[in-house]
Amino acid sequence: MTAVDSQPVGSYAIDMLAPNLSKAREDVPYGTLDLLILKTLETMGPMHGYRIARRIEQVAENLVRLNQGSIYPALIRLEQQGWIRTQWGVSETKRKVKFYSLTRAGLKQLGVELANWERTTTVVARVLEAKS
Amino acid sequence: MNLRWVLTRFVAQFRKRRLERELDDEILAHLELAESEAIAAGLSPEEAHREALRRFGGIAQMKEDHVDNRSVRWMENLVRDFRYGLAGLGRDPGFAAIAVGLLALGIGANTAMFSIVDGALLKPLPFPEPERMVRVWEAPTPTTRNGTTTLTFLDWKRQSDIFEALSVESPTRAAVETNGAPEALSGMEVSADYFNVFGVRPRIGRTFAAGEDQPGAAPVVVLSYSLWKSRFGSEPAILDRDLRLDGKPYRIIGILPPGSFDRQEAVYWKPLIFVPAQMNRLQHMFQVVGRLRAGVSLAQAQAKMNILRASLAGDLADWKDWTFAVDPFARALVGDTLRRSIYLVFGAVVIVLLIACANVANLMLAKGAGRRKEMAVRAALGAGRGRLIAQLLTESLVLCLLGGFAGVVVAQLLLRAVTPLVATSLPFTADVTLDLRVLGFAAAAVTAVLILAGLLPSLKTSYGKLSNALNLGARGSSGSTAAMRRMIVIGEVAISVVLICGAALLFKSLAKLQQVDAGVRIDHVITMSTDLPTAAYPNAASAVRFYDAVTQKLRWGAGVEQASVTQFVPLEGEPWGEGLNLPGTASFTVGLKPVDSWYFSTMQISLKSGRGIQDRDRVNTQPVTVINEETARYLAKFGVADPVGRTVNISLPGYGSIPESNVNVLIVGVIRSERTSDWQEPQRMVAYVPLSQVPQQHINLVVRTQIDPLALMAGIRKAVRQVDPNLALGNVRTMEQVKEQSTLWAKQPTWVVGAFAAVAALLAALGVYGVLAHAVTQQRREIGIRMALGARQGDVLLYVLRNALSMLLVGFAGGLAGSFALTRVLKNLLFNVSTLDPTALSIGCLSMALIGMLAAWVPAVRATRVDPTLALRDE
Repeated sequence: MTAVDSQPVGSYAIDMLAPNLSKAREDVPYGTLDLLILKTLETMGPMHGYRIARRIEQVAENLVRLNQGSIYPALIRLEQQGWIRTQWGVSETKRKVKFYSLTRAGLKQLGVELANWERTTTVVARVLEAKS
Repeated sequence: MNLRWVLTRFVAQFRKRRLERELDDEILAHLELAESEAIAAGLSPEEAHREALRRFGGIAQMKEDHVDNRSVRWMENLVRDFRYGLAGLGRDPGFAAIAVGLLALGIGANTAMFSIVDGALLKPLPFPEPERMVRVWEAPTPTTRNGTTTLTFLDWKRQSDIFEALSVESPTRAAVETNGAPEALSGMEVSADYFNVFGVRPRIGRTFAAGEDQPGAAPVVVLSYSLWKSRFGSEPAILDRDLRLDGKPYRIIGILPPGSFDRQEAVYWKPLIFVPAQMNRLQHMFQVVGRLRAGVSLAQAQAKMNILRASLAGDLADWKDWTFAVDPFARALVGDTLRRSIYLVFGAVVIVLLIACANVANLMLAKGAGRRKEMAVRAALGAGRGRLIAQLLTESLVLCLLGGFAGVVVAQLLLRAVTPLVATSLPFTADVTLDLRVLGFAAAAVTAVLILAGLLPSLKTSYGKLSNALNLGARGSSGSTAAMRRMIVIGEVAISVVLICGAALLFKSLAKLQQVDAGVRIDHVITMSTDLPTAAYPNAASAVRFYDAVTQKLRWGAGVEQASVTQFVPLEGEPWGEGLNLPGTASFTVGLKPVDSWYFSTMQISLKSGRGIQDRDRVNTQPVTVINEETARYLAKFGVADPVGRTVNISLPGYGSIPESNVNVLIVGVIRSERTSDWQEPQRMVAYVPLSQVPQQHINLVVRTQIDPLALMAGIRKAVRQVDPNLALGNVRTMEQVKEQSTLWAKQPTWVVGAFAAVAALLAALGVYGVLAHAVTQQRREIGIRMALGARQGDVLLYVLRNALSMLLVGFAGGLAGSFALTRVLKNLLFNVSTLDPTALSIGCLSMALIGMLAAWVPAVRATRVDPTLALRDE
């Protein structure tokens, strides 16, 4: 398998690539992605990045086009917020990978996000149903 | 957005490589798993690989997002641009050396100068609660200040509700034994709570206790740190020793800490004991310092002193117009002239920095012009203008920071070299060091330089039609950059001209000052001070015996033409103001100069009428005086056509602690005026009295010699020792040195400003050279065409020189306009020279023109060497 592009191309220039060139598809917005990851970890327990991405894909039954890679930025953000923690483990292919699990703060945050989600959908539903 | 979040993102800068590696590992692992699942689902390895990548999404894309999420973007960019800037400078060491050198020079000189400004003018005094420190005076008029008398001082001291501490301060001198030869040391006689005024705790031992300034107290002395170090080798057991002053032992009770008191002339402090004979309200000879009680404001103190003055109206009836004044201590430290001089030099240094910045900006513009292609490629790859500007600005920041650090080193070196030279001109409280305040100024200077020298080139290099830069035919720099560089150089020349004209004016003023007639013989004359201790010379007669003996001994010395004794050194030594009363007509103040009968001939001051002081004027003969022309002129206003033969009433000081008395004195002669103090002040009125009639203990010997006076010092010392071996000679200076010292206040800033003007001119010339050299390179084709069409070498030379001249002329116009506006700041520092003096201004412009044309010469000559065939072929 080819080595991933880990050297900056041509010394410097590519690093300066500004707004991306492929936002054509509908990606899952970060806010929702956070919720999905937290929920997945709560349901399934500690998992590594690939597993989380596959799980979300499966559960959403490929209705949402998720770039699998896009969970990694979300994961580091969640880790920085203190809602998930990482542990080193071994993957199915005997490679060392990070395992992510929910923290107590993360559990609490999940509750908060769920509540927000409920509220948003309720409001939207009510507005859409309003007759007069 | 909590603290942990902020910190983690911040720290992520430094763990960058590790985080990136971890991400790469995760991606690899992810793709592996995806591939293996796809293979398990039946795809071929290549298909599985492709499918895994497809489902993953854009990798580079995601990595960017990852960076955005894990750390602070702008800081990442900053660190990266910074490293890139450093690498860029490393690739072009010539440019780096010149630019950093220019900035180091400019920032260094400014930092050093600011350290002086701060130490002398801005910093609070290095004492606790300095705003409570005051000086208390008697004020003959609301704006003048005078010392006070013993009784009045004691009245002030009783106001304990106003003053927490109050002390007199009286300079003194004494002879101290060193290896057989006595040495004159300067000291201060003070009250017991003197050091409480300054809030100074001794480093070793103690300062004076209450009562040690009363009659009968045991003699004690406090020493300065530098004296303890130099004379006693920092001996720890110092407190058991005595210091013999004029033969009398004083127990050393304390050593002061290092600092301000080392910068004073005084090296020892002893208590001033008022003897009963001194208790009067006549001799106003004491300066007073004090510390206000906590909570008492200056205004409140002044008000209370006014009340006190009113209550003393009866005792002070003879001085009914005099009041008491309380001034902040800091006020008297720096005079207007010194303040102006310091700010003037600071202005000159700032100008040099501006010119250095302009040169650096030009260098960066030139360099930036060669990077248009690079910028264009980056913009094409998606970098916004803001990003490009930020990158270029960061590279400038690298340069400025390097210049700043180098500048601080330069400043330290400059200060080390310069401080001993200016120490005597600055007040003793000036603590000139590179402290945090000065470093803060250096940081501000670096920021200013960044904006001045970095912003414009950054903006210019990143803007413009980048598509042009990518064209094959592009030759590097567009015309607009050259125009901007020209404008910058014209600006440089203009402010350089301002500085040069200012320097020219100052030099002319200094020359005029030095031409002022001193009124006395300067060459081959040497002066020295000595003090007759009361123990050995208890009365007037003993002092007069000494004067006669020592001058006779000196006159017999080899190589001595004439010798005399005077109380005050010519050209300095402000004589006391004493009251002179022309009975029934006028009453005014004159300077009183006790001299012996040989003074006028030693100093070669010519007699105008009557006679000088002669040997026959002794203590039991008619008291006489010789007045100077100024006094005669003044008396003429009151109808006294010929003052010789008139009797006036002068208050004359007594010997030692004997108070002054009014004496009827006969005017026997009028003498040509000699300069007594400041050169630019008008002549003072002076009355000379014979030392034999008005003897004094603190005197100066003046010796005129045939050969170099310093060579005769050994003989002079021997002669004095033969008269009295216990006397120490201090302050040995030739009259030339005395004259030098009295003009130092004008000389020092003038030469410094002159030096900076020269540097500014050189830098501006460098700027001219840079622009012209570049223009010649750019215009090679054009020059080639001209030559091919028949232009001779001389024509090409003129062409380039005309280019230079046009820049210089516009610069001059601006510079002269600036001079008209700015040199009025010099008005108070110029002596007999107008701020628009045409000679000085034209010398200034001509020097700049000369240097500018010299700078233009090299590119001009290079232009003549252009080979037309090569130039035309060159694309």
